[in-house]
Amino acid sequence: MTVWLNIRKQERERCGGFSFWAIVAICGVLSQLLVPDLLLAQATESVRQYGEFPLIGSRAAIWIAAQVHLLFAAFVLGVPMFAVVAEAVGIFGGDKKYDKLAKEFTRLLLVAYSATAIWGAILSFLLVTLYPGLWLYLVEIFQVSMWIYVGLFFFESFTLYLYYYGWDLWSKGRAKWIHWTLGILLNVWGTLVMFIANSWLTYMMSPPADVTPDTAPGMVQFWSAFANATWMPINIHRIIANVVFGGAIVGAYAAYRFLVAKTDEERAHYDWMGYIGNLIAIGALIVLPFAGYYLGREIYEFNQQMGITMMGGFMSWLWIIQAFLIGVLFLAGNYYLWVGMGRIPGAERFTPYTKYMLVVLVVGVMVWATPNTMIADREEIAAMGGTHHPFLGVLGVMSAKNTAVNLMILTTFLSFLLYRRANSRPTVDWAKTATQVQGALFVISSIVVVFYGVYGYFVPAIVRIGFSVYQVLAVLATIIGVITIDIFMLRGAESRGDIRWGQMPPRSQYALFILAVTFTWLMGLMGFARSGIRQHWHVWEVIRDTSNEAATPALGYAAIVISGCVLIFFALVSFIFWLGGLAEKGAEEASSSAKIEVHGGLSQ
Amino acid sequence: MLGENLKIIGVVVGTIGVFTLLANAIPQVQSEVPQDVSFGADVSEDELTASGELLYSSAGGCTACHGLGTRAPNLLTGNGSEGPIGARCSDRVPGESCKDYLYLAMVEPNVYLVDGYSPIMPDMRRSLSNDQIWAIVAYLEAQGGEVTVTGADINQGGESGSIATTAAAAPASTATDPMEILNGNACLGCHILDGTGTPIGPSFDGIGSRVSAEYIREAILNPGVSVSEGFEGSLGMMPAMYGAQLTAQQLENVVTFLVNRR
Repeated sequence: MTVWLNIRKQERERCGGFSFWAIVAICGVLSQLLVPDLLLAQATESVRQYGEFPLIGSRAAIWIAAQVHLLFAAFVLGVPMFAVVAEAVGIFGGDKKYDKLAKEFTRLLLVAYSATAIWGAILSFLLVTLYPGLWLYLVEIFQVSMWIYVGLFFFESFTLYLYYYGWDLWSKGRAKWIHWTLGILLNVWGTLVMFIANSWLTYMMSPPADVTPDTAPGMVQFWSAFANATWMPINIHRIIANVVFGGAIVGAYAAYRFLVAKTDEERAHYDWMGYIGNLIAIGALIVLPFAGYYLGREIYEFNQQMGITMMGGFMSWLWIIQAFLIGVLFLAGNYYLWVGMGRIPGAERFTPYTKYMLVVLVVGVMVWATPNTMIADREEIAAMGGTHHPFLGVLGVMSAKNTAVNLMILTTFLSFLLYRRANSRPTVDWAKTATQVQGALFVISSIVVVFYGVYGYFVPAIVRIGFSVYQVLAVLATIIGVITIDIFMLRGAESRGDIRWGQMPPRSQYALFILAVTFTWLMGLMGFARSGIRQHWHVWEVIRDTSNEAATPALGYAAIVISGCVLIFFALVSFIFWLGGLAEKGAEEASSSAKIEVHGGLSQ
Repeated sequence: MLGENLKIIGVVVGTIGVFTLLANAIPQVQSEVPQDVSFGADVSEDELTASGELLYSSAGGCTACHGLGTRAPNLLTGNGSEGPIGARCSDRVPGESCKDYLYLAMVEPNVYLVDGYSPIMPDMRRSLSNDQIWAIVAYLEAQGGEVTVTGADINQGGESGSIATTAAAAPASTATDPMEILNGNACLGCHILDGTGTPIGPSFDGIGSRVSAEYIREAILNPGVSVSEGFEGSLGMMPAMYGAQLTAQQLENVVTFLVNRR
């Protein structure tokens, strides 16, 4: 040891006080700072930038892999949120029905989890092989987050297994609370996983302003790249959208089980489950537009050109398609509620109102779907007598559309309220006054919405944009106020009769299928919108797409790809749920056989 | 069971089919990649305007804003009663030729902001090449006016000789005189000094009595960090490139010059 120290001392003296190893360390640090960029530059030059995928091309291959992965991911992230809530309702309310429901939700999640991971792996391998240049660039910036992302899967997987397989074991007392906490933890891991992945794709959309085509990826500041301008808006939008989507898929699953049910008990259970799925989907859908508006606003703030391209450029027709789809959602969701009133004793008194609500919804959809901002060439402008259609132009502006959608939200909420109220007879003596107050809230908010909608035509655009906030606040205030009054008013309410769960016509279940398909297709459409506004950039105004598929396709082609993704997803998810059902059936049969053997033994 | 499954498949496929048909029934617009162009010294007017028209109407993204008259001035049709852009561009800025005005409007769009519109246009150099920008300039000149863009303008590598844009004052500038630096970087395109310039940002007159040298330096290097009182609406308008464009000496000369304006 002394000899070794003496040698080290001699080295330090030779090197003017620096030890050999210190020099090596300094060289190592310098090499880490300098050489990777040189190596990366060499690697980037030597590695091919693009690969080729047979038949459909690289862009379509990545598109399909990313979209199907995202659909499964949305499901496995959305379901734990309401599974945990359902379990909590079971714990606090003491109703085992909700606990069983939560477990069933989790079973669906468990069987879909592997598919999510598989498609994630497919996406990763396709990215590496088809876009190696871009992959190399992103890896240089985000590698640490990628390691954390992968590591989190261990935590998420083990938590999920413990949560599901421990359900019956830890079903009472303190163990139940711990079990519920596992559900919350599952949501935490899932949310973190999503937040990390969101940073990569939002960086491609909205890189920090100081990153230019000449900025080496190693010089990009990690946190400003990670928490870029559109990161948090996408996070919020996706959290809510995952709940909506999860509810819709659960509703479709329940609809299928209802339609093929063999017993009244089974039919009743899945009718109820379908109602819960629809409630979750439509309930969360009501707040989703606000998250979308926030995302759109942040895109505009980041880059006006991107925002304008999204809303007024070549993508403007996409929002007309979106409006149509959302119209289908509102109509199908409300239709399901109206048909569902048929199983509720006492709901007959509200049936006459449904036609007025239908009128509001249909007119709202028509207004919302009216185009305004379109690219017009000189001949078209001359034919119209201006840049806007003389009639449709009036309806196509945001003033009209915000008014329409807010009234549709109020109408849908009214449908839900009538459905909720249908079976109950309040026993509090202030019920009549409370109902009048609720009615007044609806009327006042409708007046506010219409007032600002009309007033918006007479003020500059920058002022008009602010009016949407008042409209939204009026609607939200009404929803919160009315629900609060309802909760207190219906405490101790008498039932007008047992709800006849299971007594629903098949067409109501087809409405749930339409809802699920529409939500799925809408997710695909929004994915195209989000990626498409980058146009011919891999990373906006930083890394240009120089492949021969750089052009952003038109909506018709996009629709075909989206439809393909939706079909793949539904085919796979049907197969996966069928597999899960086999396991459930096998377990039930094994349990029944065991009981028969026991009884047989006792009888001897 | 089979019947039920077939009905469900029918509903699912039918719904998907409706959406797909609807999306294919509307006008199909594809966003194109800007066509790479390269012009020689003898490029013809027709070649320039043809390329410019293609870029303007598709890949350049111009029509998203300039097609409506609400976000940005109409260029192809009259803006109010002023006639198409080629007819009115020579009169927009005294002493500025049409092509110089149009070029500057594309590379430093906030210099000559038109009244009534917001400063939302990006620097087109981030998405278009020099040749592409000049092709669009030529096309716009042709709308009601005469095309004066030539191959010489393009091959000068930037603006025509008469414009002093920040692109021209980029790292190659060795000017040390503060007024030369201010003019060379088009500072007076947004600030007033001794009665000259455009009052979009704070005036330079008396600036030394309002703010410190440190504040001025920070405002030049990181303009997005803060904004003077009364100019909150202009936050983000000032380009953030001067830190890279000015040498340390130039920066200090400008700061010293401005802080002495009391």
